[in-house]
Amino acid sequence: MTGTNAPAGTFVRKSSPRGLRAFATTAAFATAISLSFAAHAADSYDPDAIINVGSLYEPQNLDNIAGAGQGINEAFNSNVYEGLFRLTDAGNVEQVLATDYKVSDDGLTYTFTLKPDVKFHSGDPLTAQDVKYSIERVTGPDSKSSRKSSLAPISAIEAPDDHTVVVRLSSRSISLPYNLTYVWIVNDAAQNLTAGEDGTGPYKLENWRRGSTLSLKRFDGYWGEKPTNGEVIFNYFTDATALDNALLTGAVDVITGIQSPDALAQFKDNPEFTVSEGKSTTKELLAFNDRVEPFTNVKVRKAISRAIDKKKLLNSIWGEYGTLIGSFVPPTDPWYVDLNAVDPYNPDSARALLAEAGFADGFSFTLDTPNYDPHPIVAQFIKSELAKVGITVNINVITANEWYNKIYKAHDFQATLQEHVNHRDIVFYGNPDFYWGYDNPKVIDLIKSSETAKTEEEQVAKLTEANRIIADDAASVWLYLYPQIVISKANVSGYPVNGLNSQFFAYGIKKSD
Amino acid sequence: MLRRLAILVLSLFIASLVLFVLLRLLPGDPANALLSVGADPQQIEAAREQVGSNLPLSEQFLRFLGNLLRFDLGTSFISGAPVGAEIAARLAVTLPLTFLAFALALIIAVPLGIVSAVKADRWYGALISTVSQFGIAIPVFWVGILLVLVFAINIRLFPSGGFPSRGWHAPLEALRALALPVLTIAIVMSASLLRYVRASTLDVLGSDYLRTARALGAGFTEAFVRHGIRNGAVPVISILGIELASAFLGAVVVERVFTLPGLGSMLLLGIQQRDYPNVQGVLFVSTLLVLLVGFAADLTQRLIDPRLRDKARVAS
Amino acid sequence: MSALDETPPVAPAATRKSRWSLTLTIGLILVGIHVAVALLTLFWTPYDPSATAGGRLEPPSLSHWVGTDRLGRDFFTLIMIGSRIALVVGIGAVAIGAAIGVTIGLLSAFATRFLDDALAATLDILIAFPVLLLAMLVVAASDGASLWSAILALGIAMSAIVARLTRILAKRVLQNDYIIASRTSGTSWPGVVVRHVLPNIWPTLTVNFALQFGIAVIAEASLSYLGLGAPPPNASWGRLLQEAQGTVYTAPIGAIAPGIALVTLVIGVNMLADGLRDIGDPTRRVSR
Repeated sequence: MTGTNAPAGTFVRKSSPRGLRAFATTAAFATAISLSFAAHAADSYDPDAIINVGSLYEPQNLDNIAGAGQGINEAFNSNVYEGLFRLTDAGNVEQVLATDYKVSDDGLTYTFTLKPDVKFHSGDPLTAQDVKYSIERVTGPDSKSSRKSSLAPISAIEAPDDHTVVVRLSSRSISLPYNLTYVWIVNDAAQNLTAGEDGTGPYKLENWRRGSTLSLKRFDGYWGEKPTNGEVIFNYFTDATALDNALLTGAVDVITGIQSPDALAQFKDNPEFTVSEGKSTTKELLAFNDRVEPFTNVKVRKAISRAIDKKKLLNSIWGEYGTLIGSFVPPTDPWYVDLNAVDPYNPDSARALLAEAGFADGFSFTLDTPNYDPHPIVAQFIKSELAKVGITVNINVITANEWYNKIYKAHDFQATLQEHVNHRDIVFYGNPDFYWGYDNPKVIDLIKSSETAKTEEEQVAKLTEANRIIADDAASVWLYLYPQIVISKANVSGYPVNGLNSQFFAYGIKKSD
Repeated sequence: MLRRLAILVLSLFIASLVLFVLLRLLPGDPANALLSVGADPQQIEAAREQVGSNLPLSEQFLRFLGNLLRFDLGTSFISGAPVGAEIAARLAVTLPLTFLAFALALIIAVPLGIVSAVKADRWYGALISTVSQFGIAIPVFWVGILLVLVFAINIRLFPSGGFPSRGWHAPLEALRALALPVLTIAIVMSASLLRYVRASTLDVLGSDYLRTARALGAGFTEAFVRHGIRNGAVPVISILGIELASAFLGAVVVERVFTLPGLGSMLLLGIQQRDYPNVQGVLFVSTLLVLLVGFAADLTQRLIDPRLRDKARVAS
Repeated sequence: MSALDETPPVAPAATRKSRWSLTLTIGLILVGIHVAVALLTLFWTPYDPSATAGGRLEPPSLSHWVGTDRLGRDFFTLIMIGSRIALVVGIGAVAIGAAIGVTIGLLSAFATRFLDDALAATLDILIAFPVLLLAMLVVAASDGASLWSAILALGIAMSAIVARLTRILAKRVLQNDYIIASRTSGTSWPGVVVRHVLPNIWPTLTVNFALQFGIAVIAEASLSYLGLGAPPPNASWGRLLQEAQGTVYTAPIGAIAPGIALVTLVIGVNMLADGLRDIGDPTRRVSR
C-alpha cells in the first residue's frame, strides 16, 4: 500500500452533470469488499439467456495496464480474465488460479502453486511462465497501471516448473495477495491486448462496438463452474438519465449504479424491478487545505465539522439512503471504526472552539465547488450551516478540469468538495504532498509501517490507529458515505450489488422468462 | 446568383475569423486541457503543437483555415477522437431532431396562423393569437420539463430522456426518444412562426391585388389560394431560414433537457471541459449549416417571387 | 430559443386599437408585481432564503406555499428572490446592449460607405446566431461563471441586434431633407445626433429594449439552466428549474412554479412593449 503517489484521476469519481461523459478513472486501491449476491435466486432460469448490463463507464481500450479506465475492470475482472486471487463477496481475498501459496518466515518469498488443467480462450494451457509474464507486464516500464507502485516491493519472479511461481520481495508486503487480485493472468503469447483478449475466465470477448456495446460469450472450455447465462452485453451510456431510461424501457436488464434517490422513485414501488442496496466506498468530503490559515488550526477544523448537521445533509441529498461514518474509512475496510462521536453536530461547541481559536467573530473562506451534482447543493448547505456559527462561505463553482489544475495540482485553494471512490484509501492521509496537505508524522509512520507488518492483525491495528488520529485531528470533514444501489428487472437475479465499481461479476446472473 | 454565392463564401470566411478570435479569448493555454488529466511536459508540448499555440497568430489562422479546407477539424483533447467523426455521429441525432421539429412547427403554425388572421374577429382567431403570445414568452427548456412531467412521468408514454445506445439501428426506440424533444422545439418555434404567418396573411388580406381579384368576381377562397398564399409566403420563407437555423442551434438546450447525445451537448461539454477543438469544430459546422440554410431560403424566395428574380438578374 | 431574436410582428392597428390600453394595463400590472416583489425582497422575505426551514421536498402547504427544495429551503422565498435577479439581469443586459449597440449603430450610420458595409455584414452574421449561443461563448471566454459575467455576456450578445436597428433607423432619419440642410449649414455630427437623430429613433428603440429585456430574462434562465449562469446560492429561476428537474418525480411543483414566475414577467414586458408601440404610433403597422 505505497500508492500514495498515484497519478491524478485515480481517486475521485468524476461523475458528471447529466450529459457529461464520466471520465473513466483507473481504479486503484481496491478492497476486500464483500460481494453479496442478490438474495432471491430465480428458481428456474434460462441457462442460455443474454444479460444486458447498463453502465456509464465504457473502457478506453481493453487492457488494464494501458489506462483503459475503471470500465475495463467492470467488464473483464473475473469475467474474461482471472487473477491468482480475487476479492469475494465474503470480503476476503480468495484463491482462484493459485491453489495454494506459502510465505517464507522472513515474509520475503511467496511460493504459489497453480491450478492444473486451466486453458486460455485461445486453447493454450496456463503455465507458470504466463503468470511471471503477467505480473511483469504490470510492474514493467510500459505499464500505466495504478497498481504498479503497490507491487514495487517485488524484486524477482521465478518459474521453477510449469505449476510453481516464486515471487521474491525486497521488503515485507502484507497486502501482496490483495494487490495480486488486480493482476490479470494473460497468455504470454497474446498479441494486441488493447483491442483483444486471451484470458482464462468464464467468458470470452465476442465483440466491442466502440461507443455502444461490449459483448461477452460463455467460454465452453472454462475450468470452473459454468456460468448461469449464455452471454453478457455491456451497454454504455454517457449519462445517468439515459441509463435509467434504458432500464425503464427494457433495453437493459440491470444497471450498475443510481445517481439520486429521486431517480429511484420510478423503480421503487414498481413490481417490475428489484432495487438492492449494497455496500459503498464512495465518500463525500469537505477537504480543507490543511497547509493554509486558518485550517492549520485543529480547533477551527473541528469547529467546522461540529457546525455541520451531517445527518440532515445526508437526508437532503439521499433521502433515506446512505450512511454516516465520521471518518474516511468505510465499514468495508478492515480498519473501520465508527467515529461519528468524535465531532458530533453541536453548534454551541463549534462556537466555543472558534472562540478558543481566536475566531469568536468568525471568518470567511472560499469553497471551490465542482459544478456537478451533488457538490453545488452540498456547498449551499454548508454555507447556511456555517453562517450560523459566524463563518462566511463564498461558493466558487469550478469545472472538473479546473479542479485538477487548481486544487489537485497547484494546491491553490482554501477548501473544496470532492467525492473519493476508492477502497483502502486512508493511505492518502499518509502523503503530506497530497492535495489536502495533511501532515502528521505519526500518521505517516503508521501508514508506512502497516505495509511491512508481519501479521494482518498488526496491519489492521496500525491503520485503525491512523484512522482514529485523522478523525481526532478533523483532517477533513467527512460528510457522508454514498449508498450503492443496483436496480434490475424483477426476473433477473444473482448479480453483485456492492460498491466495487470496478468489478461486476456476471457469471452468477440468472434470468427467468 | 453568383453574387449570392460569393456572399456565402465571404460570410463563411468572416464567421471563421470571428470564431477564431473568440476562441483565442478562452483563458489560458489550450494545452491546459491536457494538463488536467495528468499530462507530462512532452504531451503538453505535443498539445501545443497540435493546436499550434506556439505559432504567431496570423500563421495560426492560416493553418486553421487550411485545415478547414481539408475538412480536418482536429482531435478532441479529452477523448482523443477525431472531431469531424464525432460531429458526424452527433449530427445523426441533431439533424433529425431539427428537421422533424421544423416540419411539425410548420404543420402547426401555417394553418393556425392563416385561420387566426382570416378569422381575427372570431373568438378562436383571437384565442390562437393570444396563446401564441405565451409561446414566445416561454423558455424552451421549461416546455421540455413540462412535457416530461406530463408525457414521461404522469402517463409514461415516452421516455424522459436519453437515446438508444444502438442509435438508429433501433429506429422505433430512436423515434420514441426524439418524440418529446421534437414536440418541445416545435411548440416554441410554432408560436413565433404563427405570428409571422398571421402578420403576412393580414398583409395579403389588405392588399390591392386581392381586392382586385375579388372585384373581378373571384370568390374569397379562390382569390386567396390563387394569389394570396403565393404572395404571403415570400416574407414567411425569409423567416423560415432563420427559424430553421435557430431550431438547430436551440437544440443545445433541448438536448440538455432530454440528455440527447447530439451536437448541442457536445458543445456544452466542450465548453465545460475547455475541450477547445470540439468547441471550435461544433461552432464551425453550425455556422456552415446556418449560412447554408440562409442561402437555401434565399434561393427558394427567388424561385417563388418573380420580382426578386428579376432584381437579381439586373444586379448580377 | 427559436426565433426569439426577432422583433415579433404586431397585428394591424385596426384590430388592436380597441384593446391597446388593455394590453398596456396587463403588461404594467405584471411587470409592476415583479418590481414590487423584487423591491420587497430587499427588506423582507417569508423565510431566510438560506435557512433550511422545512423538511426535504415538502409538498405545498400553508407554511410553504410551493413547498421546499432538497435542502428544506422555502421555495416561494427563492422564487421571490428570483424576481430580483431577473430584473437585475434584464436591466443590466439591456443597458449594456444599448450602450454598445447604439454607439456602434450610430458610428456605422455616419461612417464611410466601406466601413458601414463591413459593419453591416458582420452584424448580419452575428444576428444569425441566437443571443443564447453568443452568450454561452462569452461566458466560456470569461473566467468562471457569475451573475455579472452572465449579464455582460447577454449585453454583448444583444448589442448586435440593437446596433443593426439603430443603424437602420438613424440612416432613415439622416435621409431627411432638413437634416441634410442642417449638416450642410455646419452642424457637427455629434450635434446632429443629439438634436435630431436620437430624439427621432428613441421611441422605437425603447420598444425594442423592452423586447430585448424579455429575451435577456429567458436567455439568463437558459444559461443558468445549463450551469453557465449565476452560481449558487443565487436563486436564478433557471437554476431553480435545473435543480428541480432532478427531483421532478418526487416533487413536480418545483419544476413548475419558477417557470410560471418567469413567463409572467416576460409576457408582462412583451405586452408593455406592444402597448408602448401603439401609444408611440397608433396607426403604424409593423410588418418588419
